[in-house]
Formats: sequence, C-alpha cells, structure tokens
Amino acid sequence: MSAQIQGRYFGKGAPLFKLYFITAIFTVLTLGIYRFWAKTRIRKYIWSSVTGDDDSFEYTGTGLEKFLGFLVAIVVLAIYLGIFQLLLTFIGFSIIPQDNSPQAIAGQAVAINLSILAVLPLMLFAQYRARRYKMARSRWRGLRFGMENGAWGYVARAFGYGFLTIITLGILAPLGTYRLEKYMADRSWYGDGKFEQTGRWQGLYRGMKHVFIGLGILIVSGILFAVGAPGEQAGLMILGGVGFFVGYFWFIIGMVYYRVYAFNYLTGHKVLDGQVTFAAALETSTVLAKVIVGGIVIAVLMGVIFGVIAGIGAAVFAGAGATGQIGAGGIVGGLVVLILYALAFLVAGGLSLVMITQPIIEHAVNNITVNNADHLNAIQQRSADSFADADGFADALDVGGAI
Amino acid sequence: MAHHTLTRARFFDGEQGLRLDVDLQVDTAAETLRLTHPDLPTGSHIWPLWASRARSDHAREDQMILTLKADASLDSSLIMTARLTVDEPEMMSILTRLCPDLTKKDVARGTYRKVLTWTGGAVAALALMIFVILPRMADTLAGYIPIEREVAWGRTVVGGMERFLGGTGAGSLVCRNEEGVKALTAMTDRLTERADLQYDLSIAVFDHPMINAFAAPGGHVVLMRGLIEKADSPDEVAAVLGHEIGHVESRDVTRNALRSAGSAGVLSLVLGDFAGGGAAVLIAEWTLNASYTREAEAAADVFALEMLDASGTDAGGMADFFDKIAELQASDSGRAMPQFLATHPDSHARAHAARNFAAAQGYGTTPILSAREWEAFRNICKD
Repeated sequence: MSAQIQGRYFGKGAPLFKLYFITAIFTVLTLGIYRFWAKTRIRKYIWSSVTGDDDSFEYTGTGLEKFLGFLVAIVVLAIYLGIFQLLLTFIGFSIIPQDNSPQAIAGQAVAINLSILAVLPLMLFAQYRARRYKMARSRWRGLRFGMENGAWGYVARAFGYGFLTIITLGILAPLGTYRLEKYMADRSWYGDGKFEQTGRWQGLYRGMKHVFIGLGILIVSGILFAVGAPGEQAGLMILGGVGFFVGYFWFIIGMVYYRVYAFNYLTGHKVLDGQVTFAAALETSTVLAKVIVGGIVIAVLMGVIFGVIAGIGAAVFAGAGATGQIGAGGIVGGLVVLILYALAFLVAGGLSLVMITQPIIEHAVNNITVNNADHLNAIQQRSADSFADADGFADALDVGGAI
Repeated sequence: MAHHTLTRARFFDGEQGLRLDVDLQVDTAAETLRLTHPDLPTGSHIWPLWASRARSDHAREDQMILTLKADASLDSSLIMTARLTVDEPEMMSILTRLCPDLTKKDVARGTYRKVLTWTGGAVAALALMIFVILPRMADTLAGYIPIEREVAWGRTVVGGMERFLGGTGAGSLVCRNEEGVKALTAMTDRLTERADLQYDLSIAVFDHPMINAFAAPGGHVVLMRGLIEKADSPDEVAAVLGHEIGHVESRDVTRNALRSAGSAGVLSLVLGDFAGGGAAVLIAEWTLNASYTREAEAAADVFALEMLDASGTDAGGMADFFDKIAELQASDSGRAMPQFLATHPDSHARAHAARNFAAAQGYGTTPILSAREWEAFRNICKD
C-alpha cells in the first residue's frame, strides 16, 4: 500500500446530466416531493466518483430520511416564524408610528431587518447541520465520517466573526474564515480518527492580496472621479470610470483567488488522527476558467434553446391570431411551449451541475494528496449518527449550496 | 455440479480501514459467494446471493460495490457496513446474472406507517399553530396595543386596501360628495348617539362595485358603493354599519390582523416564500374576507341589533339585507358573489333572528334617514 494517496475523480458529464434531468422531471411531477430522493441520487453519484487509492467514497443518506427531516424542520420553523411574525407585527404596530415621518420609515426598516435577523441564525444553524449530516452519511473503505454536535456554537461564532469582518471592512475576514473552519474541522472524524486544523489565521493574508489590490483600485478611482467631477475634467473622470471597472473585476477575481487559496491552506494544514496529512494544490486560473467557460457555454446554449422555443411560441400564436381566436390547436401549442419552457429550465440546472459544479469538484479531488496514508489502515469504525432532521433545515431555508 | 468462478476483489469489513484483497468464488449450487483471506476471522465469509446488493447510482461502470442486506435496521441504509468492490468484468456480469435482488431497494418494516405518522403530525402541528396558538396569542396581544397606535395602523390598512382594490393610493377611492357625506354622518350619529364607544369612528365609502364592507383596526369602517346600491332602504345600510362597528368595538379586526400576520409567516414558509412577497397580499385578502369566528359574527349581529333598537331604527332592515344576501348566494354561480358576506354564517338564520328581533320592537321606529338624505347618500360617489 502506498504511503501517499492521490485523489482521483471518475464522474462524467453525460450520465450525471441524465440523472439530474430525470430526477428533476420526477421532482416537478411530484410537486417537489421527489427532490429529497433526487438530491440523494445525485450525491451518491458524485460521492462514488471520488476515489482515493482506487477505493470509492460512498454516500449512504436516504431520500426518506431527508423527507422526514424536512417535516421536522418545517414544523419547527413554522412555529418559530409564526410566533415571531405575530410578535413583530404587534411590536411594529404598538411602537412604530404608521405614517411617512422619518422616524416611522426608520422604524419600519428596523422591523424588516429584524425579521431577516430572525432567520439568519437558523440559516447558519442549518449550514452546520447540513455539513454534519453529509459527513455522517459519507464513507470510505466502509468507515463512516462524522461530526460532533455544535451547531449553536457555530451560529454564535459565525455571528461574532461576521460582525468583526464587517466593522473592520473585511480586514479581519481571514480570522473568521480560519476560526470557523477550525471549529468545524476540529469536530470532524473519520472512523475513530479525529481531524485537527493546524496553521494560523494570519497565514490566509497572502490569499487576500488580490482582494486588497482590487479595493485599492476602486478607492483610487473613486477619488479620481470625485476630484474630476466638480470641474468636469473629462480625463480624470474617464480614468476614474475605467479604474472603477478594472477594480471591480479585480476584486471579484480576488475573492475567487482568496477562496481557492484558503481551501489549499486549510486543507494543507489539516491532520487526521495526529499522523495523516493532506496537501491541496487547486489553481485559481483553472477554477475561474471552468466557471467562465461553463457560464458562457451555458448562456449560449440556453440562448439558442429559448430562442427556438420563442420561435415555436410565436408560430403558435401567429396561427391563432390569423383566425382571430385561439383554437384547440393553439391551446395545445401553448401547452407544448410551456412544457418546453419548463424543460429548458431543468436543462439549464443540469448544465450548470455538469459544466461548472462537477468540473470544479473534479479539479479539487484530482489535486488533493493524502500523505502518510499507511496510518489509515489502523483506523476503526465509528458508530452511526441518527438524525431526526437530516438536512431538512437547510432544505427549508434554501441554504444547501449546489449539491 | 457446482460451478466455481474465481477472482480477486477488495473487501472492507466495516470495522477497520484495512483493505483485504480476498479471493472471490461463486458457488452456483449453494447460491453463495465465498470470500477467502487468511486474515478473515474464520478464513472465509459466505454471502448468500439473494442477500447481495449493489450500491445504486454508482458512478464507475468498471466496478461494482457489493453489500449485504442486514437483518435489522441498525443504520439508515439498512445494510451491513461491510463492502466488497468487484472490478473484474466477467465476475460483474456473472453476479448481475445470478444475484436475484442485486438492485432491490430494501424498505424497513413500518416505513409507510412512519411516513404517514410524521406527515400527519406535521400537518396537525401546523394546523394547531394556525387555528389555535396564533389566534390565542393574537387575542391576548390585541389588548395591549395603545388605541392611538391602533388608529394609525387602521389608517395604513385602509390605505393598503385601496391600493389592493385598484386605487392609486390612500384616499383615492373615498367618495366625497358633500351632501352624501352629510347623510352618512347623520346616519352614524343617530346610530351611535346612545352607544358608549371606546373608539372615535372613522367611516368612509369606497367607489367600488363590490357588495362588501369591512372594518379596520382603531375604529375604521369602510362601506363599498356596491353595497349601498344593493340596499333598498337606509335601514339596511345602517344594519351593516352597526355590524361592522360591533367588530371594531370587540377588537375583532385587530386580533384578526395580528393572527393573519402570524399565519402568513407560517404559510409563506410552507409554500416556500419566506421573503414575504406573497404575505402582504395574503393579509389584504384576509382582511377583506374577514373570516372571524362564528361567535364573533353572532356577537357583532347582536351589537348591531341593539344599536338599531337604541336609535329607534327598524331592525327589519337587517332582515331584508340578509335575505338579499341569501338570494345572491343561492342564485349566483359565484360570479358576483359578495366575498366578505359569503364567508359569514348562514344568512337565512341571521335574517330570521333579525326578523324576530324586529317583531319585538313594536311601532316606535322611524327610518334612519329621511327620503332626501337617503337620495343624497346613494349619490355619495357622484361629484
């Protein structure tokens, strides 16, 4: 057995697209109920595509437990949100004036933000629970992964670090990124082997460089524009405008660079059971290329597909218009156009999964190395983790992410 | 004669991460798979072919992951933790041919009952929330809202309703014919003269063809033009007005609005729209269709009858009006069905109750408006 394991990804576009498309149609036909099974099957496909030392990962979650978890989550959330909305309305109407005065408008703004703040902790809670659920339902070499309970601790920390990031205008973002990942990684297990996040949060600052450059360009352009605008100095204003454009894209690409850098750094500083180490060498350029190329191909394809559907629609309605009324043929034609339109949306979802999400996962898996892998043989099974809510909260609050 | 096929396969026992490269042998006579390796506890494992399952939706077509059906449901996946990876093409095709239930989805006993129980439980919990908990909370909290806030709130509700009914903004639908407004004031004054009301009433007529009327928090009552046109005497309108004032005085509207806000929170989540876009529309419709409880409706009727009596107005007007509504409900196929009144309890019964009350009133009553005032009132929406 090799002491070093290189990740390999075996998933292909066509079978995954087919799986997505068929399960999406079932989901539509069952008014959304099948989505729990659809999600399960897609995860099974993707998990089983990931191999280390030619042993595939496995996803053992079930659609049924997701459906039941959704029921649990919807009841909890409905009770919480129902009572919260009622109290908010009560407070709103007993305290906030109901007219167009500035205080009233400010008060109403606070009330609206309060209801967002009421959902935010639940969304963070759902995020942690969803990751824990995915871990508990993942296996490699027959051994379960797992994650300890700690969702509320995560919520509190995410709030704290989020607040710090905002008041320092993003300067302390690496602290939040590092500490939150450490919080989750230090609670993660493979069999009876515990993960540990090592490294330092300051280590992420090198990854922020393009974000800072982008911000710098934005600020300088803003100053140039502000200086040029009063005297209508066209040169300065154009320079500021172009700079703004450049700075904006630099900033966006800088964010992608930061995420990739942070992923590499945090993976490279994880240790399993005190002995097994990891290395990740993802490339920002590859990730960006997949997003941009995938995005362009999808946009063009969808443009053509929607164009064809619009053409069919126009033909149907032109035929109807000629006779002055929509006959049976017109109604059938309209229905066909509607169905084509709905199918086109499903195609778009499937394309984004196989042209963007899967290639990025493939790139990540193929660039992860496990060192000192012999120690993995000594790891023992862990007990099953039952979940009443599965990832129902994430589903109800729509914080699942791509897969 | 048993047929034996021999190949290599990778085995994980589900207890430790160590990989064993086992010898795999199919015994067609015994219908079993034999896994052999010196490190296995007894040197070999026997897997019945009927209990062998292949993991579904496996991405790689060049391999097959086999598991064994478990006896009991100890795990969500209903299967043993041991895994066998076969990647020899001939063996894969043999297994596909010989294992009868390779792709079977094992469902634990009692699963269907569990799904039904949980679904029922969820529906019951949501119903309890909407029909019991939120109304109770609303009833309690309604009493704590200061009256001046309630009045201001009512103003926004009325303004919102005008937009909902197609007006351009607050006040855009209000009828302002001078003589008509005077008649309305005369009617209100006579009706409320002897009543001790906690709210200062603010009564308006909307220029809208709907046969409807509604009350908003804090003493706001709105009558629609359609209702006035449908009425044959001012006493009929006075009866409806009295009924709405009854709702105002018992704070039914305030409670209802609080409850609607809560229910909208619940429903928007269940229907998957918790940003609240649809919730506003929902609240507007609820106010319009004001589905108060049967008790609240009966109490408002009694309140109206007492008001009519105290002001010396013939309660027969109420009976006449309910008869009209009953007729509309019976004849109409829903096209112009008065929405708000349709949700009210049996109109015949209410007409009957009002008629009984009127019979006991004797002859001391006079119409609430003079013929001239009534004429002016009917033209309240004309400039």
